[in-house]
Amino acid sequence: MKFPKLSAPTLLLLPAIIVLAAVIVLPLLFSLYSSFTPFRLTKPESIWVFIGVRNYVSVLTNYEFWAAFGRTVLLLTIALNAEMFLGLGLAMLVNKATRGQRILRTLMMFPMMFSPVLVGFQFKFLFNDNIGFINNALQSLGLTTNAIPWLIDGNLALFSIIIAEVWSSTSVFAILILAGLLAMPQEPVEAARVDGCTPWQTFRYVTWPYLMPFAFIAMTIRSLDVARAYDIVKIMTDGGPAKRTELLWTLVGRTAYSDARMGLANAMAYISILLSILFTVYFFRKLAAARQQIGAEW
Amino acid sequence: MDKNSSHRLKRRWLKVAHFIGLFLAMLVICMPGLWIVLSSLRPTVEIMAKPPVWIPRDISLDAYRAMFGGAGQGGIPVWEYFRNSLIISITSTIIALIIGMAGGYAFARYKFKGKSGVFLGFMLTRAVPGIALSLPLFMIFARVGIIDTHFAMILIYVALNVPFTIWLIDGFFRQVPKDLAEAAQIDGCTRWQAFWQVEFPLAGPGIASAGIFAFLTSWNEYALASQITRSVNSKTLPVGLLDYTSEFTIDWRGMCALAVVMIIPALTLTFIIQKHLVSGLTFGAVKG
Repeated sequence: MKFPKLSAPTLLLLPAIIVLAAVIVLPLLFSLYSSFTPFRLTKPESIWVFIGVRNYVSVLTNYEFWAAFGRTVLLLTIALNAEMFLGLGLAMLVNKATRGQRILRTLMMFPMMFSPVLVGFQFKFLFNDNIGFINNALQSLGLTTNAIPWLIDGNLALFSIIIAEVWSSTSVFAILILAGLLAMPQEPVEAARVDGCTPWQTFRYVTWPYLMPFAFIAMTIRSLDVARAYDIVKIMTDGGPAKRTELLWTLVGRTAYSDARMGLANAMAYISILLSILFTVYFFRKLAAARQQIGAEW
Repeated sequence: MDKNSSHRLKRRWLKVAHFIGLFLAMLVICMPGLWIVLSSLRPTVEIMAKPPVWIPRDISLDAYRAMFGGAGQGGIPVWEYFRNSLIISITSTIIALIIGMAGGYAFARYKFKGKSGVFLGFMLTRAVPGIALSLPLFMIFARVGIIDTHFAMILIYVALNVPFTIWLIDGFFRQVPKDLAEAAQIDGCTRWQAFWQVEFPLAGPGIASAGIFAFLTSWNEYALASQITRSVNSKTLPVGLLDYTSEFTIDWRGMCALAVVMIIPALTLTFIIQKHLVSGLTFGAVKG
């Protein structure tokens, strides 16, 4: 027997490639195929019927789908920006602290240990209109007399979900930006101060460009699992009330498992996969660019 | 007031503001978790009380006793879920680490064509949302007949963890200077020996933290587990948490207690790796 000689890196990467191909790429190809069929779980033979792009057409002309799509993009935009700003603020606060930094850093990582399911459940508990901490606190402080229906009113529910999402992921940004702050050389900051920069100018033109790659690493990590919002939403509202918090992912899950329309759900899933991949590639390239800029300037 | 003392006053104010800001931020971060712990120790009557009872009067471990005692409260088999979670998470972590070490070493030490492309490709597989992946996996696994088994979940979690493990381990191997392994080889080690006796021990702590990270991902995963696991055979804790909700009522106290049980291993493990995790992720942030 003769094997073609494989180079060392190929050999080392082979197990990873095999596993990823078997568990992720192949199933995805299969689901790509089934998105062109009217496959229903209840009618297994329907997998062999080819209907072309009809699923995609019906998805793309579906109002509910676009509503969910828009809501997902809105949620991600608000949540990611808020996480970025709050994370930056938190990192600067902790960085300024003169004592107890170790303890503060540990506390800061607290939300990262929570599984998204736990985050969802915990905020469902806190935002409960009847026995939740938030309403209890507001009422005890006399700020409001009646219970605010946090998870029952459509707009408030989306707001509550954003709060939960931001709470759980801000620490990713904070931790990584703090790492950047700690690794930063002090001379440029001092030089800027000597040259008469205001604190804002120092931050804007010296500190911030240096922190950029760290912020983008955080963004890349977050974009790798933006879909963790699925768990949170699933637990907190399950897409309700009246589909006012339905995101792309919960819609996919509902179409696939409750309505058993796998073919249609796969077509939707493909659109959501493209969205995630777009996010990831975008931030990955930003990361590379920011890295190069830093490399050129320092 | 002269300029000096007004400056000093301003500084003091800033210091106080900084302290208050920090305190508030930490309060927001820690409050929800502490509230869960507190609620798990209180009787249901007190949780449900209207007007709210702020100072707990009746603290007990009843919820935990009910959960782990026999069939448990409401017949939720927490022990089985716990066992499933442990088996699935530990096995998948070990396999993912072995595969990740091989991959990470390849990225850190070799130059080959399309390196960054392959790396990005690996990362993109991680970007596929769990729920989207669960549809084809559900169909295939149902056909093969491994729905609701440990094997299916382990397989999935290995694939889920490999990309990130490679990213982390790649970073840790790069921090080990290349010269060390080369020196060992000059002294008569084979490449294999040089790896195990020089590079592996130096990257060891980092690899351990990559392992803990992989463990936590499997421990916490929900979207896929909720579709692939069906019964006591393979249900994990995050899926089990939903057993406490029924159509109209939620057993808040029981849920809080289970949440605490879930969070304790995660808390301890994250605490151990925090330093290595950040350095592994950010290595090469500046040097490229």
